[in-house]
Amino acid sequence: MIRLSLPLPAVSLFLAVGCGTALPPPELVQARSTYDRASHGPAQELAPAELDTAKQALARAEAAFEDDGAGSRSRDLAYIADRKALLAEAQAGVVQAERERQATDKDFRKTQISSLAKTKEQLEEERRASEQGKKELEAERKARAEAEKKAAAAMASLAEIAKVKEESRGVVITLSGAVLFATGKYELLPIAAQKLDEVAKALKDQGFKNIIVEGHTDSRGNASANDVLSQRRAESVRTHLVSRGIPSDKIQAKGLGSVRPVADNATAEGRANNRRVEIVVEPDK
Amino acid sequence: MVNLSFRQTLSLSVVAGCLALTACGGAAVPRDQMTQAEAAVKGAEVGGANDEPKAALHLKLAREELNKAQNMINDGENEDAARMVARAQADADLALALAKQARARKDTAEAKEQIDQIKENIIK
Repeated sequence: MIRLSLPLPAVSLFLAVGCGTALPPPELVQARSTYDRASHGPAQELAPAELDTAKQALARAEAAFEDDGAGSRSRDLAYIADRKALLAEAQAGVVQAERERQATDKDFRKTQISSLAKTKEQLEEERRASEQGKKELEAERKARAEAEKKAAAAMASLAEIAKVKEESRGVVITLSGAVLFATGKYELLPIAAQKLDEVAKALKDQGFKNIIVEGHTDSRGNASANDVLSQRRAESVRTHLVSRGIPSDKIQAKGLGSVRPVADNATAEGRANNRRVEIVVEPDK
Repeated sequence: MVNLSFRQTLSLSVVAGCLALTACGGAAVPRDQMTQAEAAVKGAEVGGANDEPKAALHLKLAREELNKAQNMINDGENEDAARMVARAQADADLALALAKQARARKDTAEAKEQIDQIKENIIK
């Protein structure tokens, strides 16, 4: 070993000349450039261990090139250093993608939670709406029942003063002519006004579309005179009902004379029944 | 500088020559490195390196380098073979890393696409 050290200066001189003149092999040029790129890219942050391994590999290649030029040893080491630098970059890519993936997963969970909350809110809203709808239906049903009850009560009270029948043309309230008018007259008697007030009150509690006031006479006397009288009597009743709050556009008067008897005109009782005013209430629906 | 006699110089060269011969011919067959590199190639294949063009390239290089190394071993050039095996190892490792990168990127892209779709559905 001592002997060996003797000629070393000469040897190193020879090597120094060799290095100074030799161009770096393409593998080393490539490795330097790849490492330079990797060390300035995301690998610096995301794959420092792999980058350091690449750095050491490159240093070995540089040392080999320094020692014995562009030989196969430095070329192989440079080739390996290049791969290690590429590997550091790939590893950085893996970490980068995984981080993005984690962020996406987090985002997914957040979205899921907010979507669940939203769905719950929607359901709650729907439930409230249906509750509200039920309440409204219930209120409507109650109101209708109330109105029907009121109408029935009104009809019942009406039945005490007049005959009430349900027919296909509607509810027919029949008032005796004798109660309403003096013979041959069409002005209402005071007692008639009182009765008609009650009729008006009952009618206002009904749901109705139209009201027709029909005047009828018995068959005695002149037919056209009967027609006129029945018309005027019907109008008297109509006017009174309107004055008591029945809308005028919903009520009309008709004089029908003796053409529609309800009883035998040959008897006094029959004739009394035929002299009448009928109030026809057309049902609302 | 110490002056050397002819005899001294001769013995020096013999020693040097002997050392050189020992270094070259005496290198062991890089059996373990070979086995490791072969395992790395297998690992890269399993890791999906064949599905990713860049990874497939390095996988191919690694296989070629393993073949070359085997030929060198057959020719008794064990030192060259060891360096060639190291190349194969580096290429195989890189192939696996590239395959992993490709797969991670693909997974992330898919996850992003999914979340975008879900968001779109929620907004609608």
